[in-house]
Amino acid sequence: MVRPILAASLLVLGMLPAAAVHARGVQARIARITTAVATLEQVRVRLDWAADADSGELQLWAGRVDAPDLGYRYRDLHWRCPLRRAGKDGWHCDGPLLQGRARPGTAAAMQLAVRFDAAMTQATLQQGRTRIVLDRNAAAPDLTSLDLRQVPIAWAQALLAKAWPEARFKAGDFDAALAIEAPAGRPLRVSGPLVLREIGLETADAAIAGENLGARVAIDFRSAPALSQLAIDGEVRGGEFLAGNTYVALPASPVGLRIDAIQRGVSGWELPRIEWRDGDVLQVAGSAGLGTDASLRALDLDVRSRDMSPLRQRYLSGWLGLFGLGEVDLHGAMDLRVQLRDGSLQRADARLHGVDLRDPGERFVFDGLRGDVRYSAGAPVQSELQWQRGKLYGLEFDAARLPFASADGQLAFREDATVPIMGGSMTFRGLAIRPPQGGAGADIRFALVLDDIDFGRVSQAIGLPAFQGRLSGSIPHARYANERIDFDGGLSMQLFDGRVAFSSLALERPFGSAPSLSADIAFDDLDLLRLTEVLGFGSISGRLDGRIEGLRLVDWTPVAFDARFITDARPGEKQRISQRAVQNISSVGDASFVTSLQGQLIGLFDDFGYRRIGIGCRLANEVCAMSGLQHSDDSQASNAFTIVEGAGLPRLSVVGFNKQVDWPTLVERLAAVGSGEVKPVVD
Amino acid sequence: MKQWLGMPVVGALLLSACVTINVYFPAAEAKEAAREFVEKVIDEADKVQIKDSSGGGMAALRVRADFDPWMLLGIGSAQAQGAPDISIKTPAIQAIQSRMESRFNGTLRAGFDSGALGFTSDGMISVRDAGKLELKDRVAMNAAVADDNRDRKAVYREVAVANGHPEWEGQIRDVFAKQWVDSAKSGWWYQSGGGWKQK
Repeated sequence: MVRPILAASLLVLGMLPAAAVHARGVQARIARITTAVATLEQVRVRLDWAADADSGELQLWAGRVDAPDLGYRYRDLHWRCPLRRAGKDGWHCDGPLLQGRARPGTAAAMQLAVRFDAAMTQATLQQGRTRIVLDRNAAAPDLTSLDLRQVPIAWAQALLAKAWPEARFKAGDFDAALAIEAPAGRPLRVSGPLVLREIGLETADAAIAGENLGARVAIDFRSAPALSQLAIDGEVRGGEFLAGNTYVALPASPVGLRIDAIQRGVSGWELPRIEWRDGDVLQVAGSAGLGTDASLRALDLDVRSRDMSPLRQRYLSGWLGLFGLGEVDLHGAMDLRVQLRDGSLQRADARLHGVDLRDPGERFVFDGLRGDVRYSAGAPVQSELQWQRGKLYGLEFDAARLPFASADGQLAFREDATVPIMGGSMTFRGLAIRPPQGGAGADIRFALVLDDIDFGRVSQAIGLPAFQGRLSGSIPHARYANERIDFDGGLSMQLFDGRVAFSSLALERPFGSAPSLSADIAFDDLDLLRLTEVLGFGSISGRLDGRIEGLRLVDWTPVAFDARFITDARPGEKQRISQRAVQNISSVGDASFVTSLQGQLIGLFDDFGYRRIGIGCRLANEVCAMSGLQHSDDSQASNAFTIVEGAGLPRLSVVGFNKQVDWPTLVERLAAVGSGEVKPVVD
Repeated sequence: MKQWLGMPVVGALLLSACVTINVYFPAAEAKEAAREFVEKVIDEADKVQIKDSSGGGMAALRVRADFDPWMLLGIGSAQAQGAPDISIKTPAIQAIQSRMESRFNGTLRAGFDSGALGFTSDGMISVRDAGKLELKDRVAMNAAVADDNRDRKAVYREVAVANGHPEWEGQIRDVFAKQWVDSAKSGWWYQSGGGWKQK
């Protein structure tokens, strides 16, 4: 704004010598003044100089002032000031500059002081605490010095909108001491220190936003017709910003920043040098290339972190929050080298030096990660990662080595990797990971061999009753895709001297909300005595077979299954059911109508013989359709089913009533039995 | 003498020779009947409507308007019109619901009131205008929206499976999407026909 006014007043003052010294006033109407920077239209100049006075009054009106390259437009400017002589051949004028209907003395009033002589020109524009001083020296006509103090960033909005049209600068101010060089035929150059304070900005689509940003940088900007260059070097101090999903909360300590950028013709900006220096927490050096639409075309970064603990809070909270890992604990040091081309990852090399990764919900824990992981979308690379110990959903595992090989966008194990877990081991064979790319999610395939895992420790870790057994098995094909792991093949387990076989295992949303496990399970020859003792159900001796088909656990609680258990008589094996077990079974019912005489007599016997025990339950929608031993004379319509068929004397039989059973109540009562809180209901 | 003494014992033994314990398991029938009864009373009028408006595969679904758990979210008491039978009784789903409720009251409601969030046409929620939120709230809101959408995916899938028809997941999603919009407060945004509309 200052330069065009300056130009106009210079023009007028240039006419002064031509006018008579004693003249009363000079008025001029100029339709249009075009300067390199701006165009003034509807200009009117008036100079009143009383005879023999030492100052006159200069008034300048400009109907329109347009500076299209800078993006500024003003209407109805009026400058009125007392014109005085200054020095031998200089002039000085200092008065209010008003726009439109603004009155002098109000907050919006600006003051413009111009001083010039043969050697130099100085113009000062002030409004409140804001000050802009422009200096030109006749000896160096191409150079203009611009000194800005506490200028609201909104004043620079129009100019910044040329470089970044979508951004709106909402708050903050800046200081700068800029040197502007505009030699004819040579590039324009603007350079000098710049201090930003409490800058707030937001793009129109709210994808990028910043608040309270501060910086102290030196800028150097050069602009030629087909080439623009910008260098920024300094520090960023405080504030926060959000760019898409990346949220950065800058620390109070200054963070070093250096960017060199260059734009040729109309292509996108190239950033051959990017540096971010945040102490031990994050050091980044690299380069980038942006497309014409400001999308990221290329990125090469070298990232180093010697202390990863503040990393999550300062830089990663946006992304981790999206994946539900917002509270993950990170410790250690790591180096990372990343190469992106056209939005897809070409290479990633991560080197970890003793990194600990911990989820506060204890879904996963990895301690002592070291080694490197290298991913390549092209040529093959190898790497190896180790950890010292870890935990997955409560199951602990020990040190393991993962030998990676990566090529063509796939990360795979080049050898079998064995993880010691819970007294046995888990071996991954042929693991291949394809990271998410181009809209498709991650795809992981592997074969798994479990060997001699102590199921007692597993039950303890996941809160089951103290089962004992060893778990082994092999799953030749497991596949994770679309938030679902399918395990082909089966696992089998030695449990209570019998066999348990799992098949059709699938796990949905393993890392998501409410993981859902489905399986078919078959039991063979379990030792009932040990089983009932572990469950606290009294003692029943014998052998148990059974199956659970279509088991579905959502969030590790059963919502559906079709289960059937039946005892399996073996020659030479006793089949006895203890008094306590009988009482426990009866306590599950609402009320057992046992005649008082018989009730008392049950108390006389420690145990009873049985021929068969059988029970079934099909759970759907919280209702358990119960069944017992199937007799040929059991009619479907009756509401009764035999659970225990006695043998010998006294002959005990247990008959269940109500085939449609309320599942939650049943579970509650069974749990009460197991913990011994029950009072047996025997009249 | 001994023989006479032994008589009661033998008698007792004979009497107890056959012991039958009857166990009356807690019946589920009564509860279920009551629920269906209530549904029928409320829904009798709606039954016809649903058959007209949706037809096709949905005709096989019974009508039910028991959205009480969703009322807990405090988003209005509009009775569902045209909702299929969605039995959402399992404790896992109810646990998800209570988690969604507390998340809604804690974080998401403010987003809907300010117009920053909206219901999408596929039963999810999304940030439709981040500019309505303060910068410091945006990160937390993005995380809450992502968590809520994960929970929604789980609910729609598990409700379909629990009803024995996993292939109904898409239709169940549509019904929920409609219900969310129906129950929304006025001024809240939802997606319709490719654009955002305000209720």
